[in-house]
Amino acid sequence: MDSDVEMNAASDEEEVMDDEDYYDYCYSDMGDDDGGDGSDAEDMVAGDYDEGLEAEGSDEVVSRREQTFAVLNEQDISERQGEDISKVTAVLSIAREEACVLLHHYRWNISKLSDEWFADEEKVRHTVGLLFTGNGHPPSRKASSITLTCGICFEGYSSETMSSAGCAHFYCHECWEGYISAAISGGPGCLSLRCPDPSCGAMILQGMINKLAKAEDKEKYARFLLRAYVEGSKMTKWCPAPDCTCAVEFVGDENYDVLCNCKFSFCWNCTEEAHRPVNCETVSKWILKNSAESENMNWILANSKPCPKCKRPIEKNQGCMHMTCTPPCKFEFCWLCLGAWSDHGERTGGFYACNRYESAKKEGAYDETEARRERAKNSLERYMHYYERWASNQASRQKAQADLLKAEREQLAKLTDIFGIPETQLKFIIEAWSQIIECRRVLKWTYAYGYYLDDKVKSEFFEYLQGEAESGLERLHQCAEKDLQTFLPSLKPDTNETTVPSVSDFGDFRVKLAGLTSVTRNYFENLVRALEAGLEDVHATGQGAATTSAATSSKKGGTKPKKKQHAKPSSDHSDDGWPCERCTFLNLPSVDVCSVCEKSRY
Amino acid sequence: MTSSSSPSRKALSKIACNRLQKELTEWQLSPPAGFKHKVSDNLQRWVIEVTGAAGTLYAGETYQLQVDFPEHYPMEAPQVIFLNPAPMHPHIYSNGHICLDILYDSWSPAMTVSSVCISILSMLSSSPAKQRPADNDRYVRNCRNGRSPKETRWWFHDDTV
Repeated sequence: MDSDVEMNAASDEEEVMDDEDYYDYCYSDMGDDDGGDGSDAEDMVAGDYDEGLEAEGSDEVVSRREQTFAVLNEQDISERQGEDISKVTAVLSIAREEACVLLHHYRWNISKLSDEWFADEEKVRHTVGLLFTGNGHPPSRKASSITLTCGICFEGYSSETMSSAGCAHFYCHECWEGYISAAISGGPGCLSLRCPDPSCGAMILQGMINKLAKAEDKEKYARFLLRAYVEGSKMTKWCPAPDCTCAVEFVGDENYDVLCNCKFSFCWNCTEEAHRPVNCETVSKWILKNSAESENMNWILANSKPCPKCKRPIEKNQGCMHMTCTPPCKFEFCWLCLGAWSDHGERTGGFYACNRYESAKKEGAYDETEARRERAKNSLERYMHYYERWASNQASRQKAQADLLKAEREQLAKLTDIFGIPETQLKFIIEAWSQIIECRRVLKWTYAYGYYLDDKVKSEFFEYLQGEAESGLERLHQCAEKDLQTFLPSLKPDTNETTVPSVSDFGDFRVKLAGLTSVTRNYFENLVRALEAGLEDVHATGQGAATTSAATSSKKGGTKPKKKQHAKPSSDHSDDGWPCERCTFLNLPSVDVCSVCEKSRY
Repeated sequence: MTSSSSPSRKALSKIACNRLQKELTEWQLSPPAGFKHKVSDNLQRWVIEVTGAAGTLYAGETYQLQVDFPEHYPMEAPQVIFLNPAPMHPHIYSNGHICLDILYDSWSPAMTVSSVCISILSMLSSSPAKQRPADNDRYVRNCRNGRSPKETRWWFHDDTV
C-alpha cells in the first residue's frame, strides 16, 4: 500500500516535468494578450497547476488506471463481428455465412467452436444444421424445368422458381418470403431458422435470407445478428443508458466502472450506475433498502428545512452544502447538520465532521446508559442519516452536471470576452466540474458503504477519510459554484458601480480552483484506495494504533497520516516551494500560509 | 364453453384459402385413420371427430377436435382444442387445451391438419393413465373469458407421452 502511494506520487511528478515546456509557452502567450498584467510569480504557480491537471485525460478524473474496457459503437461492433467471422472462415475453410451461424450457436466463442469442430466436424454440422454439400445450394438437376409441389402452399411450380436450404425440401419464393417474415417478426430466434420441413433441420443462412426476404426483413435480420454479437459474448454488454446504442467490452478482472461515449458511467458487472469503490453487493442491498424505505423517506426529505437561526423555510437550490439564509438573517450553515458553517473550516478552529453519524452526541454529552438508549431508539434514524447524505450528493451531482453544461455552453465564451483568455486555457473550469461530478458520485456511494460498515475501528478510519474528502469537495464545489459568479456579468443592474474584477483577480481564482481540483482528487484517491483495500490499513500490525490516533488527533487539527506520501515531492522541490501538509498544494517559498486551504506552513 | 370464441377472427388470406382448399381435397381423398371431418361450409373452422385407437386406454371412445385457422395460415399455427368433454389425459386440460409443442413453438408451415391429427392421436395412444395435468385447476381458472391456448407460454418437458 505504502509503496504504491509513493510510486504514484513519483510518477505524477515525472508527468509534470515532461509537460513543462508546453505550458510555459501557453503562459507567455497569455501574458502578451493581456498586456503583462499578472506578475511572474503568479504565472508560474498557475502554470504548475495546469500541468498537474493536464497530465491525464479528463474522462477519468479520479482514477488513473489503465483502460480495461472499450466502448463500441454500432460500426465498431459490426467490424469486430466481421473480424471474428473472417477468422473462423479462414480457420475452418468454410463460407462466411456458415461461420456466422456456427459462431452464433457457440455464442461467439471462437476457441470453443474450433475445438469442437476439429474434434468432430460431423457432429457440429449436424447440431447446427450445416450440410456437407453446402446450405442454400440446391442439389444440381439435369432437367432444368421439372414441376414440383411447394411443401407449404401445395401449388405446382417449375423447379427454377423454387428454393431449398440445400436439402430436398423445395418451396416457392412467395412461401419462403412468408416463412422468413413470420420467423423474423417472432424475434431473434430467426437467427437459427431451419428448413420448414419438421424432419429436416437444415439451417437457413443469411445469403438465403438476403435472396428471399423483403427488404425490411433483411434489415431486421442484420440488426438481430449485430445484437446477438453483443448479447451472446461474455465480454460485451449494452450501455444501460436510455437511447444509447453503444456496447462496452470489458477485459479487466476488477474495477468494473466503465464510461460510455454517452457520458453515462456504469458498473459493467451489475449494470447499475458506477459505484466504485463500493462493491456490487452493497449497492444492490442499498438500492433494495431504499425502495423499501422510500415512502418513509420521501415525506421527510421532500420538505425544505427551516433556517436554524431565523426558522424561515430554506429550499436547497445549489450543489454545495454551504447555505446562506436570505438577508437580513444571512446565517451561514451546513445543510447536512444544520450547524454553523463557521464550525466547518480549519480557519475558524472547527473541523468538518458532519459525515459522522451522531458524532456530536457521542462526545461526552450523554452518559453510557443514555447513549445506549439513544442508539437503540430508532434504526430508522441511522438509516436516514446515511440516506439523506446519499440522496443529497446525488442531487448535488445532477446540479453539477447541469452546471458543467452551462459552463461549456455559455460561461467560457463570456469569460473569453471579458478577460481575453482563449477558451482552451479555461479548461481548468471544465476540469473542476468534472472532478466535482465524479467526487459526488464516489461520495454518494461511500454513504451506502458506511451504512453497512459495522467495524468500529474501521468506521472511525473510514469516517476520517470520508470527512477529509467531503470537506475538500465542499471547498471545491463552493469555489466553482460561487467564486466563478463574481467574474461573470451580474444580472443585477445595481452592481455595475462595483469594480470589475481584474485579470489578476481571475488569475488568483484560476490558481485556487485548479489547486482545489487537484487537492480534492488526492483526497478522493486516498478514500477510494482505502475502501478498495477494505480499510485493511487499520488492522495492520503496529499501524492500527498509529492510524487511529492520527485520525483522532486530526480532529484537533493535528498531523495527518498522509504525510508519508508527500515526503518525496517535498524534497525534490525544496528550492521551488513547499507542499502543504494538508492539501498537498505546492506553495511558493515566499508564503507561509497555504494558498489553497490556508493551512499554516509550520 | 371457452372454445366458442376464437382468436382475432380475421378472414382467411388468399394464400390460406387456397391451401385449406387443397388440404380439404386431400383429406377427402385419404383421411387419416381414426378421423372424420364433420362437413360444414366454414373453411376457417374445422370440427373433426377422433376415435381412440384399438388397444389403447381410449379404444372406442370418440372426441371432437376444433381447429381454427388464423388469417395467415399456414405461416401461423392453427388453434387446436378438444370440445367438451375433453379426453382425460396428462397433457389435456379439462377446458380442452392441449399441451403439444407442434401446436405452438414448433409449428411449421410444412405441417398440415392431417399431420397434426396424427400427432394428437399418437399422444393419446401413448398415455399411461387417464388423468388430468397436475396444474389443471389453476390453469383452467386462469383461462376464463375464452383465452386462446396460443396465448399460453407452454413449457414442454415430457417427451414420453
